[in-house]
Amino acid sequence: MMKRVIGMTLAVMLALPGMSMAAKVKIGFINTITGAEAPIGENLTNGVALAVEDLKKKGIDVDLVKEDDTGKPEKSLSAFEKLATRDNVAGVVGPYTSACANAVASRADQYKVPLLVPAAAKEEITQKGYKYVFRLNAPADVYSSVLMDAVLTLGKPKTIAYVYANTDFGISTVKTAKEYAKKIGLKEVADEKYQKGAPDFRSTLTKIKALNPDLVFMVSYEVDAITLMRQSKEIGLTPKAFLGAGAGFTTDQFLKQKDVSNLVFSSTQWTEDVNWPGAKDFYKRYKAKYHKEPTYHAACAYEAMIIMAETAAKNGGNRDKTRAGLKSGSWNGIMGQVKFVDYGKFNNQNNHEMLVQQIQNGQYETVYPTKYKTRAPIYPFRWK
Amino acid sequence: MNDISKKSAEGGFSTVGAVAALLVLAALYAFPSFVESPYALHMMILLFLSTIMGESWNIIGGYTGQYSVGHAAYFGAGAYGTLILLQKWEIAPWKGVWAGIAAALVLSLVIGSICFRLRGPYFVLASIAVAEIVRLTVLNTPSVTNGAEGILLSDLPPFKIGETVITDFVSKVPFYYIGLTLALLTILATWGVQNSKLGYFFQAIREDQDAAHSLGINLSLYKNIALALSAMMTSLAGAFYAIYIKFIDPTTVLPLDLSVQIVLIAIIGGIGTIFGPVIGSLVLVPLSEALRSNLIAQGLINSGLVKEDSGLGVFLKEHLAHAHVLIYGILVVVVILFMPDGVIGFVRKMSARKR
Amino acid sequence: MTLSVFLQSLISGILIGGVYALIGIGLTIIFGVMRVINFAHGDIMMVGMYLTFYLFTLFHVDPFVSIVITIPLMFLFGAFLQKVFINRIIGTLPQNQILLTIGLGLIISNSAMLAFTSDYKILTTSYSSGSFKLGEISISQPLTASFIITVVITAILYWFLMKTDTGQAIRATAQDREAAQLMGINVSRMSMLAFGIGAAMAGTAGALISPTYYIFPQVGSAFTLKAFVITVLGGMGSIVGATLGGIIIGIVESVGAVAISSDWKDVLVFAIFLLVLLVKPSGLLGRSRM
Repeated sequence: MMKRVIGMTLAVMLALPGMSMAAKVKIGFINTITGAEAPIGENLTNGVALAVEDLKKKGIDVDLVKEDDTGKPEKSLSAFEKLATRDNVAGVVGPYTSACANAVASRADQYKVPLLVPAAAKEEITQKGYKYVFRLNAPADVYSSVLMDAVLTLGKPKTIAYVYANTDFGISTVKTAKEYAKKIGLKEVADEKYQKGAPDFRSTLTKIKALNPDLVFMVSYEVDAITLMRQSKEIGLTPKAFLGAGAGFTTDQFLKQKDVSNLVFSSTQWTEDVNWPGAKDFYKRYKAKYHKEPTYHAACAYEAMIIMAETAAKNGGNRDKTRAGLKSGSWNGIMGQVKFVDYGKFNNQNNHEMLVQQIQNGQYETVYPTKYKTRAPIYPFRWK
Repeated sequence: MNDISKKSAEGGFSTVGAVAALLVLAALYAFPSFVESPYALHMMILLFLSTIMGESWNIIGGYTGQYSVGHAAYFGAGAYGTLILLQKWEIAPWKGVWAGIAAALVLSLVIGSICFRLRGPYFVLASIAVAEIVRLTVLNTPSVTNGAEGILLSDLPPFKIGETVITDFVSKVPFYYIGLTLALLTILATWGVQNSKLGYFFQAIREDQDAAHSLGINLSLYKNIALALSAMMTSLAGAFYAIYIKFIDPTTVLPLDLSVQIVLIAIIGGIGTIFGPVIGSLVLVPLSEALRSNLIAQGLINSGLVKEDSGLGVFLKEHLAHAHVLIYGILVVVVILFMPDGVIGFVRKMSARKR
Repeated sequence: MTLSVFLQSLISGILIGGVYALIGIGLTIIFGVMRVINFAHGDIMMVGMYLTFYLFTLFHVDPFVSIVITIPLMFLFGAFLQKVFINRIIGTLPQNQILLTIGLGLIISNSAMLAFTSDYKILTTSYSSGSFKLGEISISQPLTASFIITVVITAILYWFLMKTDTGQAIRATAQDREAAQLMGINVSRMSMLAFGIGAAMAGTAGALISPTYYIFPQVGSAFTLKAFVITVLGGMGSIVGATLGGIIIGIVESVGAVAISSDWKDVLVFAIFLLVLLVKPSGLLGRSRM
């Protein structure tokens, strides 16, 4: 007991000036820990764990209630209802998948529990006018628009081929990409959906190769990205640029496939080399702790937990005040400037600026927007 | 003859049984007046949903002995039928559900005419294949089904009789009563099947197809009837799921996982019995929720048995959440090895031994 | 579709079909001898993939060489599963067999998750995206190697089942369990052998696909489904049938993707599957069991 008191006093003394006592706050976290979506969910788990550590250093003691939704909406709903009514959390971070976030978002207003979605991309989630639902990451349409913007600064491509997963994310991303392509006069030469997880894309890629497109636009949320690139090389598909939307192109594993990933462009919510406060430090500590590079999911989840916990702590765990705090607040952390605003069809959506990175010599280099640029983009593409 | 002996064996008509059943029923109908917790109501709704699915499968799998592992197709048919009509033409779900049921019926007849040419394991595999075709077709016809993006329902129109609004579906209570009523209906339907000529034919087919055939039972006719009944009941579960969760897509209402889940409910409880699927649901729903939300670790910590800061406490809190499907799998294996006739069969055997 | 596109798809279809065939052969042997549909088949394959992955990353054993370690280990694993679990439910109700293998599958995949986390593991060899060129057509090096290995293994297996005493005992058990028992064949030993061989085949398929694919705990379920289709297509219990079935599925997927579309190719696979069931329910090379 005595030790504890001394420890706490020390902690308080060491804490930032102005923070007079350790605030305890109960936050729920719904994630996909098991099931087919678990590989990505893992990144969110790690990001949140790191956030809880950092919050403790800042004097905010988070009582984290972790819930696994196994990637199923009805389980996610169970989790949310448990958090809202049984655990009485101040706010909830999650769920990870779009399907789950969609289902849960509709209940947030009902229970008046602030919900901060860290990484789900489905646009509708923040388009329904829910008061208690906030989203940190940029929705699916930005994944393609930022890539197209980046390409326009490079050259004058004329044709484009789409290869994408037949998933919610794949379809909505390509939809926006097509609208954009039309606007800038790109001619579509192929539109190929594939089933997630397929081991063989060779025939599809051969067909595309015969059409000789300038741009190949791929959407793969999973490691399919690696399979696609390996087989593209094998077949000898060589467009002027490979554009990758979705997490599959932004992972550590993808980067390590040096033979096939070099010079691929991809859009991401986060990179460590932007000048957002704490981003580099987060990258280093994450890598030291988990022995792999953080994906943008990890960064999104980290920042979402920080924002939710700080806001809830400031408002004594009161849900309504926390909601108001989220709505009016603004943060500047590892995800850059965060503010939940209403624009276009969106409500309470952080108008997050996505980045385009290109792999050069085994490194992700930010190449767009120009203000965050670490290297000049290399165009056209050639195999290593 | 057989029917009568069955009835008395079930003991369904004893006064004690009837009074107990009525009491349980009354308690179930009164439940929402006493319990306001949405979490508890949600659990009950999931319980009803599971019961509906289990009872439905029981008709074809339990009574008729045809182990369909493709029931997700009918579940999806109910869910999609109802929501497509609601989304595109604003047809209220209590009307739209009939389209879902009809879709499931047609589907079951098509599937039946293909798969019932096959027996045993061949039938199992064929049923999986057909369900996969249904899933892929839904995925690949976005103009009708919205494909992989799924259908998101923003509002459920209020249920009106004449001009009076009966419920606006804001709280969980209406869903509770719909679920309860549907579950009771499926139990009643199962009871009806068991105590009719139809049930007799079904069971004859299950026990020995060739013998049933030589008795003059039209195998393909009765198998198809059983599948159709089962499919229509399953589609009700799908429709109910759709209006309750308000979001469906091929990966949530049509996957192989779901088909397997449906089979588990009945087998764990005890197949070919009226209350088997109820028992199965009573075991599986709370169990998987307790495992999923790590209630066990929490309980151990709260009870003071394990200190939260101790190594074991941290380990339980961190890892038990990851292991819940593993524990679930172990339980499934244990049940099969030690209770091959499900919980009901096990209890019966134990009580017989005591006597 | 130009000729070169067609030939390219045909060749990659045949090559990938070789790996599918191996998965199917494993399942078909297990089913043939025990009449058990193994829902954990893909998960067993997943174990083989992890084994290959760690042999490669920790001990730098090339995936194609590592099968000499994978095969016996996976055989033991399969025999263990059979002895401890499957053996207890042979001859009981079919629903229990389904359930048991489903349960085992859950245990295997989730244990893998606890042991290796749910991260994707990628096995990168120097030849992962290597290819030979034949005019305009490129042929994957790793797939060619795995195809050749598949052919060799299948041939050895076929010889084993046809020519050796043990092989004949296994076949006798598959044909008629009771008669085999009466003839003095140790049926439960044969079942253990069969499950071991089945698991070894699944594990080998996992090893062969590892250099061009990726590994995670839930990777198996997609392959379980594929194995079902292949075995029924070829005729349950028929090794030649499963080989043929695997290659047919490979070709249909590959050529279907260019001839029709990549999103409908799987429907095509299942449609062919049903068509075969309707016309010849015993499968292409199976004996009728109607």
